[in-house]
Amino acid sequence: MTAIHVDGLRKSYGDFAAVRGLSFEVAEGEIFALLGRNGAGKTTTMEVLAGFQAPDEGTVRVLGLDPVRDRGALRARTGIMLQEAGFFPDLTVAQTVDAWRDFVSAARPRDEALELAGLGGRAGTRVRQLSGGEKRRLDLALALLSRPDLLFLDEPTTGMDPEARRNTWEVIRDLAGRGTTVLLTTHYLEEAQRLASGVVIMDRGVAVAGGGMAEILAARAGRVAFELPGSVAPGDLPVPVTVLEGRTAVCRVPDPDLAAQTLLSWAGERGLRLRGLQVRTATLEDLFLDLAERENATEVA
Amino acid sequence: MTVTARNLAAVGRFGARLYWRDKVTLSTSVSLSLGLGIGLPLLMDRVRPGHPEVVLTQHLGVLAMILTIATFSQIAVTLTTRRDQLILKRMRAAGLTGRDILGGEIANLVVQTTLLACAVSVALYALTGLRAPRDPLLYLVFVVAGSAVLCLLGAAVTALIPRAEVAPVITMPFFLLAGVGAGGFGPLVELLPGWVGSVLDLLPTAAIVEAARVAYAADGTLAGDLRAAAVPALTLAVWAAVALLAIRRRFRWETRTP
Repeated sequence: MTAIHVDGLRKSYGDFAAVRGLSFEVAEGEIFALLGRNGAGKTTTMEVLAGFQAPDEGTVRVLGLDPVRDRGALRARTGIMLQEAGFFPDLTVAQTVDAWRDFVSAARPRDEALELAGLGGRAGTRVRQLSGGEKRRLDLALALLSRPDLLFLDEPTTGMDPEARRNTWEVIRDLAGRGTTVLLTTHYLEEAQRLASGVVIMDRGVAVAGGGMAEILAARAGRVAFELPGSVAPGDLPVPVTVLEGRTAVCRVPDPDLAAQTLLSWAGERGLRLRGLQVRTATLEDLFLDLAERENATEVA
Repeated sequence: MTVTARNLAAVGRFGARLYWRDKVTLSTSVSLSLGLGIGLPLLMDRVRPGHPEVVLTQHLGVLAMILTIATFSQIAVTLTTRRDQLILKRMRAAGLTGRDILGGEIANLVVQTTLLACAVSVALYALTGLRAPRDPLLYLVFVVAGSAVLCLLGAAVTALIPRAEVAPVITMPFFLLAGVGAGGFGPLVELLPGWVGSVLDLLPTAAIVEAARVAYAADGTLAGDLRAAAVPALTLAVWAAVALLAIRRRFRWETRTP
């Protein structure tokens, strides 16, 4: 069943068109990523879906509801982790959660929410004394209070240390495993790739790529990189070199495993070593770079 | 949008907790209101003993001022601070509607201000020759209703306040006008052109003072009190409608539009 349906969404602020005809769908229980550079329209899209902004055009349905007309009913079923939102700095973590528990019905117990967000040991700490990453985790704890069917996570792990980030990923995966739909925006491509099964990449208000994460990446070129032996010219190699970064040859190929085998056989026959050999399938980063290159080429043309 | 009593109560309770732990609020809204509200009429009682009518005039003049500080100015400061700190946005993200948030904040300040007005009034009955009002219910109703209308106006004015730090400065002229119009600074109106007094009589604080004067009058009947309170009630209703319209059209929940 579809949790989020967006068709032809447009939203402008004065003359600035923040979102221009965006369409996508998110299934129930799916983790879906909205990606793009700053100003691409991700946060505007999320704010429209959460009911903070009304769309100018297009159809938006979230859990079968109109986010503006049915805002009350929708908010009761959603948790929102905002990219920017404040706290009362003089309250403790526990006091903050207790206050917010009053605002939602059938709220999760305070300790359960704090444990889920990885803040169990900080209940007595004043909010002003929390690190940036801990504030994000408090934000997550508040978003989880209402046991939401749908979670909006805007840059959920910004400012977290690597361990906290991985713990947060676990929490998000666990929630999705229990049927919670998650829509997230992130600057961390690794985060999106590890968590999300679906993705839309936005640029200047439109979707420039989208679909299932696995399908998107499978359709992109993989990467084989190695240190070019001193006696070898790039043109001598059996696989075409896409770019030479210093002495590192980078080959972008549809099947990186096959390309690596070909290169190793070729080197073995000649008694050469391919130092620093790296083989990997396409990543979101490659996709981003491709899109950026394409855009630059268009601008030059 | 639906207003649920539960959400209003939750926001009101939360606002009250923050109100009593905020040092700035305690030093302005609470200390200043009690100091002015009790101090000036008490001083007048000592300067002119045996003239309770002078104490009453001073009491009602200062009442207009402390209601303005504790409601109009206080809610403007509270809401702009929470707007600038993106706390209003977070409260909305928690599922609270705009009415829940504004209603809860206003309810809290109306309760705190009514308590302040009661404390000031009771202190004056105990310390000066001022007697309790003949019609205490009328007095209470207008303190409560007037506080609510002043809060609505304060919330409406936040649309004109770019940053929380300037909220006290922007609301200060209204405090001065309320004080001058109600006689809190003495009989200044008598020194000004007549039309100034007529204009100041249109202020919501003037309506509260007028109704309070009826409540304190030595003679009167219930029917007479109700007739006398009709115009002040209408004045407050008009100001409430203006404020609600302005809030509906102009109130900003965030510092910026993306």
